[in-house]
Amino acid sequence: MAGATMGEDENPVGINVTPLVDIIFCLCVFFMISFKFKQIEGKFDTWLPKGKGTSGAGSDASIIEEIRVAMFWDEGAQRTVRKFRDRQVDDDDTLQTLIREAHADFVRLNKPDAPVTIDAAFDVPWDDVIRVVNLCKREQIDKIEFALGAPPAQPAAP
Amino acid sequence: MSSKKYRPKIQETIQPNLIPMVDIMFLMLLFFMLGADMSQRETENLILPQADKVQENPKEKAAGEIVTVVNLFHKPTGDGFVCPAQKTGLCRDVEHHVIVIRGQEYSFDTFPAQIKAEADESLEPDKDPEAGKQLSARKVTIRADRTAPFGLVQKIIEACGVAGIYKIEVGAARPPEG
Repeated sequence: MAGATMGEDENPVGINVTPLVDIIFCLCVFFMISFKFKQIEGKFDTWLPKGKGTSGAGSDASIIEEIRVAMFWDEGAQRTVRKFRDRQVDDDDTLQTLIREAHADFVRLNKPDAPVTIDAAFDVPWDDVIRVVNLCKREQIDKIEFALGAPPAQPAAP
Repeated sequence: MSSKKYRPKIQETIQPNLIPMVDIMFLMLLFFMLGADMSQRETENLILPQADKVQENPKEKAAGEIVTVVNLFHKPTGDGFVCPAQKTGLCRDVEHHVIVIRGQEYSFDTFPAQIKAEADESLEPDKDPEAGKQLSARKVTIRADRTAPFGLVQKIIEACGVAGIYKIEVGAARPPEG
């Protein structure tokens, strides 16, 4: 490593930069290792109904007053089964259309605040639940509730 | 005046000029120092579900806003812990999942007491007429791993409801563009 940084004729006091470079190297390595690129994170607002306590939107809530998406886990096929009004919906676009139409019906009935209730079984992956939330947000539906009652029973295999 | 002629010294050793290197290293150091997140870690490393309509987190918190970030994820393999179900990516075992708040681990048994204590720290001044009790002004952000079972998120939401917290957010990541 080098000693003086300037010619001895120009500066009689030679500064040994070796320890400085060593320490900067160590600091650089430390910060480089701890550095990570963050993914862009965000959040969806949900509000627990104040009056309902912990029951949230129960499983027995009237289907006339809400848009309900039921979700089950199919252990055999290792995938989530989604149902909208007794109709199995595998495709995201179809589900979004059904939610849009149902919401439009409520708007026509002068009930634009009718919530979309996601009624998922215990073992449904969180990713699939968020996918349905995202479909609702695409339709500018803000009121989304999670059913907090007993999880629905697995439907009988056809 | 001296009659001696100026004779340049013969340089015997080659000394590399370190100044440009030190300059660049200082710049790199500055870049990594500014980019480093030295704040108290509220978020854990987990894979969030992706959603394109997610609201991006604001750069600064609103004045007076108190937020508790609740992280939910599967225990990592190691220290003698192995989960065979994790190979498929879907483990439903409650014991295999942990809740972490500000770096502190909680189980599903100890979490309700912790969230109740946090909720009580920031109660709203007045009784809520709808709920008939004082609710908490605290906000809870749930950051759950994408493979976490919904039932466990339900348990967290239920515990928040019992504690009087009604402002709940769920975390998601925006998918990469392109």
